[in-house]
Amino acid sequence: MQKLELHELSAGYGSEEVIHRISLELTEPSIYVVLGPNGAGKTTLFRTISGILKPFSGQAKFDDMDLFSSKEARRRIAYLSHLNALPEEMTVYNALKYYADVEGGDVDHVLKLLNLIELRDKKFSSLSQGQKKRVSVGKIFLRERDLYLLDEPTSNVDPKISKEIRELLIRLSKDKFVLYSSHNLYEAREIGTYLIVIKNGELKFFDKIENVKTKQYRVGIKTLNGISRLLPESKFENGYYVVTVDGPSEVAKIVGNLVRLGAEIVEIRELDNPLQEFFEEG
Amino acid sequence: MSFWQVTMKRSVRLSRSYFVIGIVTTLYGIILSNIMSIIPADSANPAPIDLSNNFPILSVAILSLSGLLFSLPVVMLFVYDKNNGVLEYLLSTGLDQLDIFKGYVKASLTLATYLLVFAVIFNTAIGFILGTSLSLLASMAVLTFVIGISEVFLVTVCMMAFSSLQKTPMGANQPLGVVIGIIPMFPALILPLAFPAYAIVIDLLIAVITLLVSFVLLLSIGRLILREKLLP
Repeated sequence: MQKLELHELSAGYGSEEVIHRISLELTEPSIYVVLGPNGAGKTTLFRTISGILKPFSGQAKFDDMDLFSSKEARRRIAYLSHLNALPEEMTVYNALKYYADVEGGDVDHVLKLLNLIELRDKKFSSLSQGQKKRVSVGKIFLRERDLYLLDEPTSNVDPKISKEIRELLIRLSKDKFVLYSSHNLYEAREIGTYLIVIKNGELKFFDKIENVKTKQYRVGIKTLNGISRLLPESKFENGYYVVTVDGPSEVAKIVGNLVRLGAEIVEIRELDNPLQEFFEEG
Repeated sequence: MSFWQVTMKRSVRLSRSYFVIGIVTTLYGIILSNIMSIIPADSANPAPIDLSNNFPILSVAILSLSGLLFSLPVVMLFVYDKNNGVLEYLLSTGLDQLDIFKGYVKASLTLATYLLVFAVIFNTAIGFILGTSLSLLASMAVLTFVIGISEVFLVTVCMMAFSSLQKTPMGANQPLGVVIGIIPMFPALILPLAFPAYAIVIDLLIAVITLLVSFVLLLSIGRLILREKLLP
């Protein structure tokens, strides 16, 4: 059985330690969303797992192979940094071919997979930010790997491309490990199965996303008729009657009551993302 | 096509000006090397200092420099690739820092070889036509090639080392590589003038030492410069 093991892993740059004694064991192919504020250590964690940074102490292993010293282990990992990391002066095809020449792989397969055929002969530097990102994502699919590390793969791309990338990763995660860092909490909830939270270089949370409990649960209810009388504890904000409850089950009760009392509900919206708490100070 | 071959091609496409300058410098070196065969000596009015015997040595230096100019875009590409994350990605594919350094060195040496071989053949052919002594032509050919290659090797390694070690992308350490790489050229230029009888031996010795130093330096930076130094 494949697994990624981080044991008391500390790493950083020069003499500055950025991540501190992180221990994790990922045993199930899935999408693991890595969350944390800017500077938390997500990129450092990815660079250490991908074998670029030498750990100060501890170990990162994939299938019992040390990820820093084993070239074979590193070849089974794909790392997408937040930079495009492609030769800008080349055409899309040649830029991908450049990496295919170095590590092997099938450029035509990538062009089809990410709908890049139309861009094939365009210069990489002439593409829009979103198109560049798509090509950049494409390079990690040149050949098959077992572990994919993606550092904010959907930043700076429009919702359509973002959705395509997410769908691709969801398909991939059926039999591969995907570690995915993002600042988009809604996206994280949408695609992630597991949540890894890093703060100040330390592991703060690791569990299934469904087990994340929120301190407060705010719901906005939009109606055609006024319901302030029916729901006196609510506050009217930006067209929504906002109520704070303990959890989703309580919402079902409230909505049931409102409908019975004649409220014409057109929309119910969760106003806070439980993952938001991981970005808050403290 | 392997990594170093692509690197070489990319370098050619990225900075064509350096190639033009390299070729122009080569032509200048060839003219300098053969000019005394064209201009007849004026025995009635001898020059106060006769430099004519030193022209071949000067042209060796200029032809070697042309090889360096021709290969400089490779190191510029190294810096560019470091700053835009290409080197980071290459590391993540399983390459080590030494693999990467070697790729750029190979590209740089191959480019320099192309120009130096052209320069040597062209210079020898012209010298032969103009009646220059065969031993002088042979000596110049060997020295141009050996000094040129050793200089390019040292400059490439030094520039990669300095640009890897500089803390900010816009740091000014990279040109230090050129300065350090050119330093061995001074004794190769001056000592033969002082000891003309040992000119070839001195220059060959300097070239061999430079090659050895460059090789050791390449292996050392492959070990001593950490992968993180290639990150953007």
